[in-house]
Amino acid sequence: MKKIAFLCCLFFLAVTAYADDFSLSGYLKNEFSMGMDTFNDVHKFKNILGLSGEYRINDDWTLFASTRYWYDAVYDWYEKYDPAQHYMGHVQRTDWLRDCYLDYISDNLDIRLGKQQVVWGQSDGIPILDRVNPFDLTEYWLPDFVDLRIPLWMINIKYAPKINSVLQLLIIPDFEQSTSAPPAAPLSFRSYQLFQAFKDWWEGPPTAIPFKPFSGTVNANIYYPAKKFKNSTFGVQWLDRIGELEYTLNFLYGYYYSARTYFEGAGGMGTILNYGRRFKLWRMYGGSFNRTFTEAGPLQGITLRGDFAYYNDEPVTYGNPDTGSSGGVHRWDNIFWLIGIDKYVATNWLVSFQFSQYIMQEAKPGGVDPNTGTPYVTFNAYTYGPQDQVENIFSLKIMTDFMHERLKSEILWSWTDDNQGRVSPKINYEIKDNLWLTTGIHYFYGNEYDTNGQFRDKSQVYLNITYTF
Amino acid sequence: MKKWLIFFILCCGLCLLGIMGNLHAVELDYHTVYKPEQGMSIEDIMQVKYFVKYTKFAHDYESTGYVYFVDKSGFTRERNFLRQRIILGRESDDLAYKDLVMFTGPTAVKGLAILTWSYMDPAKEQNQWLWLPSLKKIRKISAAQSDDSFMGSDFTIEEITTRKFEYETYALLREEPFRGYACEFNNQLYHQGADCFVVEAKPKRSPWYYSKRIVWIDKNTGGDIYHEIYDPNGQLYKTIFKDYQVMKVQDRDYPTQMLLEVKDLRTEHRTVIEMKDVKYDQGLSEALFTEKSLMRSRW
Repeated sequence: MKKIAFLCCLFFLAVTAYADDFSLSGYLKNEFSMGMDTFNDVHKFKNILGLSGEYRINDDWTLFASTRYWYDAVYDWYEKYDPAQHYMGHVQRTDWLRDCYLDYISDNLDIRLGKQQVVWGQSDGIPILDRVNPFDLTEYWLPDFVDLRIPLWMINIKYAPKINSVLQLLIIPDFEQSTSAPPAAPLSFRSYQLFQAFKDWWEGPPTAIPFKPFSGTVNANIYYPAKKFKNSTFGVQWLDRIGELEYTLNFLYGYYYSARTYFEGAGGMGTILNYGRRFKLWRMYGGSFNRTFTEAGPLQGITLRGDFAYYNDEPVTYGNPDTGSSGGVHRWDNIFWLIGIDKYVATNWLVSFQFSQYIMQEAKPGGVDPNTGTPYVTFNAYTYGPQDQVENIFSLKIMTDFMHERLKSEILWSWTDDNQGRVSPKINYEIKDNLWLTTGIHYFYGNEYDTNGQFRDKSQVYLNITYTF
Repeated sequence: MKKWLIFFILCCGLCLLGIMGNLHAVELDYHTVYKPEQGMSIEDIMQVKYFVKYTKFAHDYESTGYVYFVDKSGFTRERNFLRQRIILGRESDDLAYKDLVMFTGPTAVKGLAILTWSYMDPAKEQNQWLWLPSLKKIRKISAAQSDDSFMGSDFTIEEITTRKFEYETYALLREEPFRGYACEFNNQLYHQGADCFVVEAKPKRSPWYYSKRIVWIDKNTGGDIYHEIYDPNGQLYKTIFKDYQVMKVQDRDYPTQMLLEVKDLRTEHRTVIEMKDVKYDQGLSEALFTEKSLMRSRW
């Protein structure tokens, strides 16, 4: 894959030498964030260089690539971040190449070949159908989704049998796993921290309580799907309209992008513990809709939208929530659906409300923790805390602008019925055409078992400055 | 009997008045060039004006352009755009035209695109889709309120895209040569001496963000070259200038907006929209005005 990327870039550079129809643009960005608890705990000082280039070969064919390099100085400033420095301090593996594809366009057929992102669904901030690409959650769900998605090499074919209908076919022979921040990083998941804490204890000196008369070893091996065509991810989307109602039908089949941890046995008289992280096949069946009421009447100006997904064989971890020790993995069928409503009020205030439910078909994994006798429960994948069988998720977003859209502001409040959530006000100010400033707060609340609540001590204030060219 | 006869005649008279009161100007045929002519009713003149404004005389339209936001200190922000439109006038699905606006610069807004479908039914709102580069996805959006600023400019959304003939009542004030407009953007004097109809237009909606506007309509093109807009208290608060030039397209004269300047007299902020590379009737495909087309966006 690296060779393909390299060749594409080489070709890209070669053609630019002769191209009149070539455009290049980019940005330099500094992202700074600081914990709100003490205001002396810098979470991020990330410097990013992004470059994008487009070469129009002719009216039908276009080549496009974008790259991104970054360096986060915080991981060199603080010793406490040392364990995460290698992973969080600078650009990772294939992360530098964000897009690299060849586009063919015509009235009926569009083909995009190469590394790209594909987005499905109507929801904001909640990936229900948006599962084509894996996610980089090293900064939780805080960045823009365009930066959260991990691009993949794929064949993306869109065929329009009639004017407003599109049949999309995806063949994705590439695989990347969704990523999260390692322990020691500011926004590391509790589940990851618990595993690391256990590993450190097991491999550390003997302890009396709990009793451990040796220094053991924990092996954690990750097993990626073999690089074979049959292991590709396949997707299909049908988009059409019935009157004013627009809908999609979606199907995705492939490996689940998040690995699940399995205990694979002990060795060395019980002092060596072997864990395997494996990716499981799953299927997603779903659909989405949107409808804007354009006709005169009380509903005029309202947009209704929704997503529905049926996750078949979704790997779900269960275990003891007190210790975070995993009891195993079930592959269950789960449902995730959302309905959203948007409306402009008082001239230029956009109010957007979403309600969604994640429903697990089964809730009782069975079994007990052999060490403590605690009955196993289904885990929240982020925290290894208990997961409700039905999780009700709400979000409210209000946006407006001032000074001829020079100053844009928004506030997002997302929460669940477990009294946990996040409040994120944000201001975006255009200093000049090519200089933008963004500042805001991410305030988390809840308890340590909850997705947002696990970061209740990590609320942050941030400031981003972007220079574009 | 006589009383009944008088009552009957009165009723007939009232009915006739009622019918006349609701009379609209004749519908104009799409893809035909019209000009205001002497002796036309004020409704007909305004119909022609809207026809010209939304380029309904053409089959399709394309232009690039620049938008400048200038505050009272002279500080200027800039946007570049590509605009494409297909004019349908199709009764089967009520579609009047479809419009695609893509920002091509500066980099910070590059890629932002809006697809709009406008309908012939005056009571029906537009359908809009937005391509959001920060999400790399399409969002179906509710139409913004008509009195909201159009993309941060001094124009309202109604002034640029949504206002229709049926939204106002009209009175012809006078006919006169236009005094000329001294454009602050390029220091040129425009349309001095152009023969104009001067029309007073009042919104049917009340209360509304303006109480009336006085519009100078160029007899040569049917274009609304100058507007004075009055707030609900009757105070002049905004002026709009539009430079119309006639473009020869396949032996037909197409009145074409080339420059717009709008000034808010309260804030002294102004917006200039300059059109470049205007092209008509290139045979743009309707397939260009679909979600599939929006999904092609790379930025």
